[in-house]
Amino acid sequence: MDKPTVVIKGLTKKIGSRLIIDDLNFEVPKGEVFGFLGPNGAGKTTTIRMMVGLMKPTFGDVWIEGKSIRHEFEQAIRHVGAIVENPEMYKYLSGYKNLIHYARMIPGISMQRIDEVVRLVGLDQRIHDKVKSYSLGMRQRLGVAQALLHKPNLLILDEPTNGLDPAGIRELRDYLRQLAREEGISIVVSSHLLAEMELMCDRIGIIQKGKLVDVQLIQDFVTEGEEERYWFRISSPDEAALVIEGMGITAVRREQGLELAVTGEQAADVNEQLVKAGIRVYGFHPVKKSLEDKFLEMTGGETHV
Amino acid sequence: MYNLVRNENMKIYNRVRTWVLVGLLVLASILFTIAFYAVNDYSSSGDWRERTQKDIETYHQTMASTSGMVEDQVSRMIKISEYRLEHDIPPQNNSIWGGTIAGSGLVFLVSIFTVIIAADIVAGEFAAGTIKLLLIRPASRAKVLLSKYLATLQFSLLLLVVLFLVSFVASGLLFGFKGVGSPYLYLGGDGFVHERSMIQHAFSTYGLKCVNLIMIVTMAFMISSVFRSSALSIALSIVALLMGDLLVVLLGKYEWMRFYLFSNTDLTQYLEGVPPFEGMTMGFSICVLIGYFLLFNGLSWLLFTKRDVRS
Repeated sequence: MDKPTVVIKGLTKKIGSRLIIDDLNFEVPKGEVFGFLGPNGAGKTTTIRMMVGLMKPTFGDVWIEGKSIRHEFEQAIRHVGAIVENPEMYKYLSGYKNLIHYARMIPGISMQRIDEVVRLVGLDQRIHDKVKSYSLGMRQRLGVAQALLHKPNLLILDEPTNGLDPAGIRELRDYLRQLAREEGISIVVSSHLLAEMELMCDRIGIIQKGKLVDVQLIQDFVTEGEEERYWFRISSPDEAALVIEGMGITAVRREQGLELAVTGEQAADVNEQLVKAGIRVYGFHPVKKSLEDKFLEMTGGETHV
Repeated sequence: MYNLVRNENMKIYNRVRTWVLVGLLVLASILFTIAFYAVNDYSSSGDWRERTQKDIETYHQTMASTSGMVEDQVSRMIKISEYRLEHDIPPQNNSIWGGTIAGSGLVFLVSIFTVIIAADIVAGEFAAGTIKLLLIRPASRAKVLLSKYLATLQFSLLLLVVLFLVSFVASGLLFGFKGVGSPYLYLGGDGFVHERSMIQHAFSTYGLKCVNLIMIVTMAFMISSVFRSSALSIALSIVALLMGDLLVVLLGKYEWMRFYLFSNTDLTQYLEGVPPFEGMTMGFSICVLIGYFLLFNGLSWLLFTKRDVRS
């Protein structure tokens, strides 16, 4: 087994007496896309800032490729490409000069590499224009370009899909997956968009009020504890509810029908009984609990109450 | 390190603002030289020998009615004027060097312009958010800060060179270039008049003014690191620059004002004038200046390297 690209141990941040991040522990192995999920203000950005050395942890540390970000900053950060919040570039410089600026700060980046990255993010037409004239999507792509310039082993992206159109989001997603799969780059992305994470990540960590609530593989997260439920679309829900309750099953009213906590076999039985009672059944199908419901459940479902 | 300074220079010279400042300085020094020429041309009509002779008479009259430091000053001027007549060296005022040296009066403009750049060079990155992408590179914060400081000093050097050259050329065009070879006269410690090359004198005049410049720029740089807002930094630095000398006069009665930065920045006061406080020496001022210099740079360094980047 390779050593993990990122190791975070006991990461804690206090500002004044306020505990912003509370004892975070996790690892990101090589080639994994790790999603950092949490509502706004949960501490995602603070954690990311500590990971790239912009903020100093009160306790704990972050190791990147085995180098401590606190004590061996220059060696650790060498492996990192990042966008922290919005990719803020020098607006009065051209995109190309911005890239030259960052290239000069890291030894061993050739002019060819700059051109390569520009082509990769599809900015070749506009790269010599001033960043001032770029759209948000183009700035985001320039941000990705500067992050990839030095072929990092770890890519850290804070809310990378902010301001991208659906096509751009899809493109970025495919590209990140490809980087992880083919180049073995580890990627840490943060987001509050669940659907986004589901498609992009291998594993997600859920952060809530500065605490890491849970870390799970995305498949486990989606399927875990799934009790089967079926949704029946029927003509007269009230009558049907009586029939179903007669069978000893509780029914919950949903738009144009009922939702039942039953297995596939039981659902067939219910269907039979309903038809026998003269109720028209237009259809029934299993209900998958959405990631969103899951997430809200996990984080205490604060938005529900 | 070299690359970091190149980056900072790229960020300075790719902005229109920078070239507007350079342009303003060129314009100001041309106008200043023309004004200087107009004033001197008027007062220097007629033969310089007659005027110098008349000056010497006036000096003698002043001598009779004063004493102490002013007396020394006046007797110095008499000796130089007499030497001038003896060796047939016309006064520098209405020559190319007079105009060039007068141009050093515009060093305060160089200070203001450099302060604008210095106050923005750190704070501007915080204001625009670009600091986040700047500090996540394999370069320590101390190096990034130093590169910004060096780029700022380089910019002030550029402005000084521009000021000197424009003043020199403009003076040359107005007064003619024939006076280039004439020497500068000064009274040595031995009581005799000596000659020195004019270019050396011009450089030392500009050089001494730079002490003030460096201190102000360093202070603006510190303010820039502390406040992290460009507008506030520029405003504060310029207010400090303008109020600095005024306070020396206003609070002149307090003894502790001798430790005040702006009581010490003008080192020419030990060469040609009177220091604002009894018993102040060149050595004292240099010590005070070094103290402030270390304080300003220490504070910049401390705040830039230790503080979290939040916004």
